[in-house]
Amino acid sequence: MKPFSFHSPRGLGEAVDLLERHGPGAQVIAGGQTLLLAMKERLARPSALVSLAEVADLRGWRYTDSGALEIGAATTYAALAEAELTGVPLRGWHTEIAAVAGDLADRPVRTMGTIGGALCAADPRFDMVTLVVALDAELDTVGAGGGRTIRAAEFFDPVGGTVLRPGEILTTVRFRPQDGFSGVAFEKFRYRVFDAALVSAVCALRLGADGAVADARVTVGAVHPAPVLATTAADRLVGGTPTAVDTVEIGLVAADEVLPAEQATTSVRRYQRELIGVLVGRAIARSHERAHTTTAGS
Amino acid sequence: MQTMTLTINGTEVTAEVDERTLLLEFIRDVAGYTGTHNGCLEARCGCCAVEVDGDIVKSCNVLALQVAGRSVTTVEGLAPQRVAPLEHITTQSLAGVYRPLDALGAQDDDLHPLQAAFHKCHALQCGFCTPGMLMVLKDYLEDNPEPTRDEVRKAIGGNICRCTGYQHIVDAAMEAAENMRPVAAPAADG
Ligand SMILES: Cc1cc2nc3c(=O)[nH]c(=O)nc-3n(C[C@H](O)[C@H](O)[C@H](O)COP(=O)(O)OP(=O)(O)OC[C@H]3O[C@@H](n4cnc5c(N)ncnc54)[C@H](O)[C@@H]3O)c2cc1C
Ligand code: FES
Ligand code: FES
Repeated sequence: MKPFSFHSPRGLGEAVDLLERHGPGAQVIAGGQTLLLAMKERLARPSALVSLAEVADLRGWRYTDSGALEIGAATTYAALAEAELTGVPLRGWHTEIAAVAGDLADRPVRTMGTIGGALCAADPRFDMVTLVVALDAELDTVGAGGGRTIRAAEFFDPVGGTVLRPGEILTTVRFRPQDGFSGVAFEKFRYRVFDAALVSAVCALRLGADGAVADARVTVGAVHPAPVLATTAADRLVGGTPTAVDTVEIGLVAADEVLPAEQATTSVRRYQRELIGVLVGRAIARSHERAHTTTAGS
Repeated sequence: MQTMTLTINGTEVTAEVDERTLLLEFIRDVAGYTGTHNGCLEARCGCCAVEVDGDIVKSCNVLALQVAGRSVTTVEGLAPQRVAPLEHITTQSLAGVYRPLDALGAQDDDLHPLQAAFHKCHALQCGFCTPGMLMVLKDYLEDNPEPTRDEVRKAIGGNICRCTGYQHIVDAAMEAAENMRPVAAPAADG
């Protein structure tokens, strides 16, 4: 590692000031699970680190008056995974966020790793990157020039990385209220439990009053530098009923859309193409099932 | 350089450190607790796992300054936490094997149930991965006292053992889980 100075601000304002004062070499450290690996290899060489560990405002989650779920960027996977045991348990399809947080990396990494750290690192194989795009989350940031709100799909640059400006801090990840979707399912494939996903896929559905799909989002991650929305596949779902949809067929539509056969020229790519079909199919089936259960139960 | 303090196994350790000092390096090189091992230095093997305020971390992937002021438990702090029955070990074998515990002021039979189970089930060969295995399993079994074998395997997904093939480690974890489960409290007024 290259030498750096280390700062532990107590509040968000102080963190923004520190980043500005230390200039372009300054970098945020949340859990450090990705950043420290990069620093050890000197792929990252910050001259100053501003730690979010003591900035209490960036941790935990709450429901707003309108029912939206706001998660602080520095909330750890471990905290999210145990959300059901807390005073503010997640409801309905929001529990899928906790399920994803509890089924990635390994226990020690989940203690330190944060949702915001994964999003800012923007590695397409990270599960939360795919999930926030899939669920059309909004991301709030703050910097020396003020704050802004960015839709998840616009936060990630299609060629890789994020649109964050130097010195800007991600503060909040906001998910739609319960009625935003009726059912959500995340699927991924990895060789071993702690490996990064080879392909991840999410289906998020909203059913209309008639029980047919009114709105659908199908998202595929880990294949391209940023998550990809499979809109043709999603459109095929709209207007259908949960039981009548051919999940296998729509999975293949998504595979053609995200990774067409002519682009799948290596064995890894061909394998990913197969996985997209299977995982999208599973995600559709599971989200349908959930949407159906939720609607039937309410 | 910055001055910082950590409480390691109940003892406060204050030192002036380079900002780049990893928690692992603070524990081993500054505080001298060499039970925490460096197996990869890239968050892959789990040999360096310790608890910080009761939560498990890989100490090679945390800066010491990130956890300044907090309490760390290493494998050396495990045994004194709870007394385990050790009928399967003869006094004779203990004398040679558990000397290091004496040095820490512990009793011969003060092994943590996990350590006792590792010994009984032959869950270690070279022992290099053992401190990390013990710490991760302690953290896990305290959360989930009634795991299945598959769940135990998943819990140690971030720990690599090159010797045992994991079978005996899972055996030991299942055995320890039984001994660690909270005993139902006796009725208050008999
Ligand atoms: C062994 C191992 C296994 C893993 N397996 C998985 C897996 O299976 N699935 C998966 O999805 N992920 C996996 N990960 C990655 C993990 O999700 C990320 O390392 C973690 O979430 C990053 O969060 P962090 O808080 O540690 O970020 P840091 O490492 O602290 O930061 C990452 C980057 O984001 C920036 N940053 C962090 N927070 C903010 C903020 N609030 N505002 C602005 N910039 C910020 C930092 O400057 C840095 O550039 C694994 C990691 C390890 C080490
Ligand atoms: S030394 Fe920390 S995980 Fe290998
Ligand atoms: S006992 Fe040798 S590495 Fe596990």
